[in-house]
Amino acid sequence: MSALGTSPERSDADAKLRGQAVYGADLSKTGMLWAALARSPVAAGHLRAIDPVPALRIDGVLEVVTAADVPDWRTGVIVSDTPMLAADYVAYEGEPVAIVVAESRAAAEAGARSVAVDIEPVEPVSTPEQALAPGARLVHPEWNRFAVAGGADIGRNGNVVAEVVHDPGDLDEAFAAADFVVEGTYRTLRQYQAHLEPKMALATYESGRYTIEVSHQYPFRLRDRVAQILGVAPSAVRVVGHHIGGGFGAKLDVSLEAFAALLAQRYRRPVRMQHTALEERLAAPCRANAITAVRSAVRRDGTILATDVEIVSDSGAYANNGPALSSIPMFVFGSIYRVDTARIWTRNVYTNTAPTGAYRGVNGPWLVFANERHMDAIADALGRDRREFRLASLARDGDLMRNGQPLEQVSILREAFDRVDDLSGWQDAGAGELRGVGQAAAIWLTNPMPGHATVKLNEDGTATVITSATENGSGAVATGLRQIAAEALGLATDQVTVTMPDTDATGYDAGSQGSRTTHVVGRAIADASAEVRSQVLDQASQMLEAAAEDLVITDGVVSVAGVPTASVTLGQVAQSVTWTEGPIAAGASYVTPTPPHDPLCATGMLIKGWPTPTYHLHQAEVSVDAVTGHVTVDRYIVCQEVGRAIHPDAITGQIQGGVAQGLGFALSERVDLDHGRYVQRTFKQHGLPLAADVPRVEAIVMEHADPAGPFGAKGAAEPPVVPVAAAVANAVADAIGAPIDSLPIRPEDVLDALERTQ
Amino acid sequence: MPASRSEQNVTVRLVVNDRAHELEADAGETLLATLRDRLGLTGPKEACGEGECGACTVLVDGGPVASCILAAGSTNGRAVRTVEGLAGAGDLTTLQQAFVRHAAVQCGYCTPGVLMVLTALLEKVSEPTEAEVRQALAGNICRCTGYQQIVEAAVDAARAVAS
Repeated sequence: MSALGTSPERSDADAKLRGQAVYGADLSKTGMLWAALARSPVAAGHLRAIDPVPALRIDGVLEVVTAADVPDWRTGVIVSDTPMLAADYVAYEGEPVAIVVAESRAAAEAGARSVAVDIEPVEPVSTPEQALAPGARLVHPEWNRFAVAGGADIGRNGNVVAEVVHDPGDLDEAFAAADFVVEGTYRTLRQYQAHLEPKMALATYESGRYTIEVSHQYPFRLRDRVAQILGVAPSAVRVVGHHIGGGFGAKLDVSLEAFAALLAQRYRRPVRMQHTALEERLAAPCRANAITAVRSAVRRDGTILATDVEIVSDSGAYANNGPALSSIPMFVFGSIYRVDTARIWTRNVYTNTAPTGAYRGVNGPWLVFANERHMDAIADALGRDRREFRLASLARDGDLMRNGQPLEQVSILREAFDRVDDLSGWQDAGAGELRGVGQAAAIWLTNPMPGHATVKLNEDGTATVITSATENGSGAVATGLRQIAAEALGLATDQVTVTMPDTDATGYDAGSQGSRTTHVVGRAIADASAEVRSQVLDQASQMLEAAAEDLVITDGVVSVAGVPTASVTLGQVAQSVTWTEGPIAAGASYVTPTPPHDPLCATGMLIKGWPTPTYHLHQAEVSVDAVTGHVTVDRYIVCQEVGRAIHPDAITGQIQGGVAQGLGFALSERVDLDHGRYVQRTFKQHGLPLAADVPRVEAIVMEHADPAGPFGAKGAAEPPVVPVAAAVANAVADAIGAPIDSLPIRPEDVLDALERTQ
Repeated sequence: MPASRSEQNVTVRLVVNDRAHELEADAGETLLATLRDRLGLTGPKEACGEGECGACTVLVDGGPVASCILAAGSTNGRAVRTVEGLAGAGDLTTLQQAFVRHAAVQCGYCTPGVLMVLTALLEKVSEPTEAEVRQALAGNICRCTGYQQIVEAAVDAARAVAS
């Protein structure tokens, strides 16, 4: 029986349901110290002095470590702009300024609160507009001295962290030829990941090496970042991964780990750290707030002659991966909908706010919101039905995206429009007073970054996959990778185990991000399993005295095709081979090749291609309460292409969970800034969707096997969050007969709009 | 000011998962800290620390409470049940089995609290509707699942128990 397309039990379900699963936040070690960070209480200012005395008076506090005691260089994923501890100036509220080391957690946290930090505040650069204003204060006066990874030219200039410019130079001509111009400016807030397990670290230092135990989405990046911060070789750092209580992108980079490692070396004792609830917010790499202005030159026949896009996104006080994410508009605009030409200008800017970063569907939700609101606006201006206009504008297979990459399977979207229409006919959907329907489509990537797996045949005929791929909750490791190995080896899924991450014990893995695990690591496993299988067949062919090509493996038994009685079990093969040829194991690596593209299409582009794309169409049907302005999502439909569905129930779970996060972004979640400081300080204040807020999501999963994927699988987990806000905003705009240009859609804004239209 | 010198310990006698304990808790110590740090029961999860997310939920005398904001001292003489006490070392409960069948576990960090709330609900209401299940979960944040598979698991478990 095939292991694929069924929904076997997750390998971690039993332990998680019994409360037995050990997460990072559950870890402790004999003799460990605790440490906590003192953070800047202001968004910007000159750091004059740090007085440790009030902290040192607390029972159990051992030391207050400041910038003078730690490495003085700056580091970063792309731009080396981030100090380990602020030395001369602070650039955001929450920036670490000192570390308090103590014998207990309570003492460490009390100490961190007691450190007297003397800062002369300056007026913060609070918004991207302020950062770009002429004569704006520079967030980092010495920005020009920061190194950039690989020496890449990313268009840095003052408060501009990165600039990506795609400009074919023919926009003026196109706009001159237009019958009319449609434009809109779309504003979106930050979004907080709100993973439940706080960030933590447990570090030890023994015999010249650091070991970091953690719950982290990307152990190898963590290893490299800790090494970069401490100025040691990556091989001097070992990262051991434990169960992860949610991440959604927030656990992809270093946070507390380097501090804990430094102290572990300083004290030769294990050191444990963990964010408080407030620190979780202050130090979260939220989805960036952004302003997206879109203008299109349109001909009366519906041809979009040109689209001109100007984007400003808020990097916060440090660059993080904002420069890389600034490439993503290149894959959203002028992509799945045809435009003759486009100019796309993206700037990512420094402000005196907490650094933004990676959140599931990086930049996608607000970019697709702008693109799909704009499509509705053009359809309205043309007097065309919005679905019909989308279908008429849809790209054809072979059309090029703005980076010159061919859209090979974009016709999948036509199928999606049909499938959604079959489930809820467009003509009748959202009909009625203050009811509306909206659609949003997207093409999303499967992250291509490298992975490795070793597959070993155990001596009892079962198999173990050795990899540092991380199980972030999606099931990609706990079921998906096991199913792929089982299918490739002729085993049942429950006969395959997968190791936990350990950078000493496995090949490089680029972490749980961008839906890559099933596709990239799954492919490595499929390749390694093919090698294991071939060694098994060689051995079995000797045992059965039959040619290897005549053998089949089913349900853990190797038999001669057509002669089921001539068989040996995989256990017998493994036993035999172990003592004759030696144990069977094989490793394989995979990186998705960068798709063909035009390297000169834009300046500053760090993400050059859109590998292993998947296709998505969402439809939201809403009703609006005329009295309260409250929006109810009556029906929500997702049609998503996944290559091949390995574990259908897990995919459904990703779709429902992704839509819930998207609905939060669309309707209720807030991360507001007031003079650079976060307004929301607790979970409740963010307006996260609760069980009663989220409708049942209807999911249609389309399969178009990818020849490069393991058994055809592409990525599936990340993109369900991407089109949601766009679909909902289009539906609300339809319901109230007025545009929605900012998120979240607040009841008071809905009421205002209703008042204006009536 | 020296911290914790003037604080007084309190003696707490409580029954946790059918085992009686007598222990000295710090004044102001939360039940969550007692369970996790003194009794080694790390099933109840530490998350928001503010009683807002539900990951730390345990049953006190059968009713769900946020153990991260409940003083351990206030549970003197009471019976506490944690996620570890649901199945013990035996088979998973009907509810837990339904979670497996419905793929209702993802990262799993909210799961212990969600299970306690739903266990209490199913003890009170034999066949809750979907809406009742969703209402019961008003204090539990799950960022992974979108709640649907959790709700389906609860309804299915109730049906399985009733039949």
